Amino acid sequence: MTGYIQGRSVSLTFRPPNRAPVRALGGFDIEVEEGEFLSIVGPSGCGKSTFLSILLGLVKPDSGEVLMHGKRISGPGSDRAMVFQEFGLLPWRTVLHNIELGLELKKVAREKRQAVAERLVALVGLSGFEQHYPHELSGGMKQRVGLARALATDPEVLLMDEPFAALDAQTRDLMQVELLRIWREAKKTVLFVTHQIDEAIYLSDRVMVMSKRPGRAKKIFTIKLPRPREYEMRVTPEFNDLKLEIWNTLKDEIMA
Amino acid sequence: MAEDATKDGTIGPTFAARHRNFLLGGLAVVLFFAAWQAIFLLVPFNPLFISKPSLIAAGYVDLIESGDLFHDLAVSSVPFFAGLAAAVVVGVPLGILMGWRVRVGYALDPLMTIFYASPLVALAPLLVIFFGVGVWGKTIIVFTLSVFPFIFNASAGVHAVDRLLINVVRSLGGGEWDLYRKVMLPSVLPYVVAASRIAVGRALIGVLVGEFFAASEGIGFAISRFGDIFAIDRMFACILTVMVIAVVLTEGIRWAERAAFPWRAGQ
Repeated sequence: MTGYIQGRSVSLTFRPPNRAPVRALGGFDIEVEEGEFLSIVGPSGCGKSTFLSILLGLVKPDSGEVLMHGKRISGPGSDRAMVFQEFGLLPWRTVLHNIELGLELKKVAREKRQAVAERLVALVGLSGFEQHYPHELSGGMKQRVGLARALATDPEVLLMDEPFAALDAQTRDLMQVELLRIWREAKKTVLFVTHQIDEAIYLSDRVMVMSKRPGRAKKIFTIKLPRPREYEMRVTPEFNDLKLEIWNTLKDEIMA
Repeated sequence: MAEDATKDGTIGPTFAARHRNFLLGGLAVVLFFAAWQAIFLLVPFNPLFISKPSLIAAGYVDLIESGDLFHDLAVSSVPFFAGLAAAVVVGVPLGILMGWRVRVGYALDPLMTIFYASPLVALAPLLVIFFGVGVWGKTIIVFTLSVFPFIFNASAGVHAVDRLLINVVRSLGGGEWDLYRKVMLPSVLPYVVAASRIAVGRALIGVLVGEFFAASEGIGFAISRFGDIFAIDRMFACILTVMVIAVVLTEGIRWAERAAFPWRAGQ
């Protein structure tokens, strides 16, 4: 069986000038199923963000390969889009124009771009802020724009690199609820990198724990909590057992 | 304090408090001219070597009534604006290229630094020999003096571009040309406007020097001719006009800088 997304022994070493090389990924394997929500947790610097960059097509691995639909990924493509931790909004563009960016780069006609952007503004709950500039928005609102921009080109896969890490705790909780709603409506495959175990459990179908650098897949947990997920599930015994189990797996990597 | 009074909405700040900075600056200018006028009550006045505000004002009236001032300004404005426009058109793309293409930057940076740091007005006589005494010669001098601020600021602007934005555009399928148009040019624009403040001053020098060397009309020619015939009052009128133009242009750009980039308020 060929998986939807497959990473096979992906290795990458960074060689910054005048500094010691860093082995970010050392034989990383992963299988992602179509439509699933997969989170990746791991110690800092374990290469989880690096893997997203490779899957996005911005970085090439030294060895190994990443396949989508059985085809090797060799560059960016409109079947994948990233939501960045630091938002990456163009400061001179309004909300609407930021969302249109990907469509503009694909030479989609103006009316069509606008129609898509307006629909997404509503989907991410930013109606009324179409003409605002990024500096006029809160962090949570900025990331809603980032999410809408990623959805605008209608990718199959959404890559999310610690998207809520720059937000305060309450905004983060709210954004998680919103993300699940949008995921249900948009029906995307999501790869979600995070440091937060609760966040990973609450959102995901499966949670992968990575080893410390050079990163490899250590263990995968299947989250059997029913969907739609309710916020209250976070305080159930099952949730806490799972959290402890994942923490224990992760702890060895952080402590070691 | 006057500022506190506005908070409860009862008493607004006085006119003097609201415009304090402007009034202080204006007062200094007025005092300067008053002192200039008054000093000749103490020292002897020789109209062959110096002038005073009352005579300069009379000279102004003379120049305006005859239409000479406007004619000379119109003549000088052509090479001024043409040279500046050429400097923007050449300097900004070249600066962006130097900033983005590292090897182009390393190759050209020493040469550009030499030109920028050296007093290029020294080349003016040579440029006049090459390109003649007309509009062309002056335009080339203006261009030569004002292009370097654009090159260096555009290049610095590219270095300050947020790398994340480059990755965003690349990840959404943008190519090299898209990076130039959608990321670098908008990022660099505020730097270009800042450069134009410096370039305007250098361009004015260019026009004046060009007209000092070889010209038959223009504001620089007028200054030098009035000096030659000891018409010091009208010479000062022309000099003051150039000063006012320089201040208006640089302050205008400063104002445009704040108005044109609302998104920079958050940075």
